[in-house]
Amino acid sequence: MTAEPITIRSWPRAIMHIDADAFFASCEQAVKPALKGRPVITGKERGIVAAASYEAKRRGVERGMRLFEAKKACPDAVILPSDYETYSLFSMRMFQILRRFSPAVEEYSIDEAFVDLTGLRRLHRGPYGEIAKKIQETVERELGITVSIGVSLTKVLAKAASKHRKPHGLTVIPGRDIHLFLKDLPVGKVWGIGPNTAELLGKLGVNTALELARKPEAFVKRYLSKPYIEVWHELNGRGVYVVNQEDKTSYQSIGKTRTFTPPSSDETFVFAQVSRNLENACIKARRYRLSATRIILFLKTQEFRTSGVELKLTRPSAYPLELLGSTREGFAGIFTGGVLYRATGVILAGLVPESSVQYTLFDDVTKIEKLSRIYGAMDGLSEKFGKHTISLVSSLPVKLQRQHEGGRGDVPKRKTGLFKGENKRQRLGVPVLDVKV
Amino acid sequence: MAKTPENPGTRAAAIAAFYRREGRMPSFSEVGRLLGLKSKNSVSKLVSRLEDAKALRRDSKGRLVPVSIALPLKALGVVEAGFPSPAEEELADTLSLDDLLIKNREATFLLKVSGDSMIEAGILPGDMVLVERGGEARSGDIVIAEVDGKWTMKYLEKKGSSVTLRPANPRYREIRPKEELKIAGVVTSVIRKYK
Repeated sequence: MTAEPITIRSWPRAIMHIDADAFFASCEQAVKPALKGRPVITGKERGIVAAASYEAKRRGVERGMRLFEAKKACPDAVILPSDYETYSLFSMRMFQILRRFSPAVEEYSIDEAFVDLTGLRRLHRGPYGEIAKKIQETVERELGITVSIGVSLTKVLAKAASKHRKPHGLTVIPGRDIHLFLKDLPVGKVWGIGPNTAELLGKLGVNTALELARKPEAFVKRYLSKPYIEVWHELNGRGVYVVNQEDKTSYQSIGKTRTFTPPSSDETFVFAQVSRNLENACIKARRYRLSATRIILFLKTQEFRTSGVELKLTRPSAYPLELLGSTREGFAGIFTGGVLYRATGVILAGLVPESSVQYTLFDDVTKIEKLSRIYGAMDGLSEKFGKHTISLVSSLPVKLQRQHEGGRGDVPKRKTGLFKGENKRQRLGVPVLDVKV
Repeated sequence: MAKTPENPGTRAAAIAAFYRREGRMPSFSEVGRLLGLKSKNSVSKLVSRLEDAKALRRDSKGRLVPVSIALPLKALGVVEAGFPSPAEEELADTLSLDDLLIKNREATFLLKVSGDSMIEAGILPGDMVLVERGGEARSGDIVIAEVDGKWTMKYLEKKGSSVTLRPANPRYREIRPKEELKIAGVVTSVIRKYK
């Protein structure tokens, strides 16, 4: 059974998945060449490993590990505060490089993208594997980071292929080889299949991705729901998921979380964190012209216990002034005095386009119009003078304490060695090499 | 309803203002609203004219893509009295400082200079240099290089198979790499801001 190909058509479509290797740590090594070849960990300000370079991973450092554990595993690791500004610049650049090769690029996450290469062989004068190799070389040469690439017929297959060899891997799976690749892939490693589904499939005698792919449609329909049926099609080389090349303009939800050290039990301070998160989430929502119909609010204690609440809004909104009242009520319900908190988060959910917002009978339309004008002006000021030029009074106590004090108070170098004309909030959109010459 | 600006130049300026404000180009219906044009046809005509003037173009799906509209600074050349129509002057032949200084945006990095070894090449401590990675370094280029484990910025001189790194300061010696020479990038511009 394993000998028979799943499909004999080699390339009905050619989908590429690109995944940057240990992205944050690689960016740090790219701008600080002295760190090349050394174990590098980012996430100093959070107290946990946000990313570890392959040198550190080889020594047993894992993502999400507490820093003191990481230090035990790898005492000579260089531990750096996260510099998201630089990582975002690298991310944007990677996507731009991909667009030189194909207009159909989906920015899947900060360090991952899907690219539809179908039909580009003539343009780039070579087979799909060669195009992928050229892309890999260009990213590595120009950005100084390594990436792993998978090319196959569908997104699910391409994603599995890019994971197959890391770092700096290139795995190409044409239609006639799908079965060879899937026979060694545990079904739980397939994109979209979680531990519970893998467990269920295991009980039904399906352990590898190939076994799932070979099952008849009736089996899949009987035991699994729609998303898994799509995965089943994708495993068989029949593309269901398209490469979505729209800029990310629509979100299901927008969340903002902030961790602070030392932890605090001061109600005003903790609420200020919530309030600032609310403002940040609303800024992003307004940028994409979205309004929230629900707010999810959560607090995380020093013991990593989370308490949360979901608030339904009478009217979609992205104006903190309007949302603050209900947020405060929700907060009062989940905040416990005397408990030390280390993080808060606000998620705007049930997002709808701003333009489709309908006023209800009871809305004060003039007030809403006024709010819209106020926030229009505030967004204008932020653009000119930096974020939070004007903010809610309730957010101000965040300034009582630096976000991270003590050893974790380290800020990335990019935020300190400013050029003339740059300020704390606005810097040039070009990564800075940290080399002394 | 906004008052209708008359000529393509001011209309282009309104579209450019929208582009700067929103960070994207308007849709056809937004152009209509922006300029007070009621029919899609008049919008389409205007767009065609702006396309001819290279102010913008349409992508394969017909969406607007900025061309000269995205360029903030005008390169003012010699002015011949009475000639090019203001619309054209507005729309063509401008280059942003970014475009002038940066050739390959994705491969360009900033570097703050701390040493004085390139002082006679006009690069002072505290200057910013733009460094392009990935391209081929030619003889005569100023390069950022790692020589035998140390980083430096020097002129690159290649003669046959021999490579020399030459400083632009008599107080420094030229370097002939013993072990290994790694070139991180080529300096393409130097930026010094006084105020």
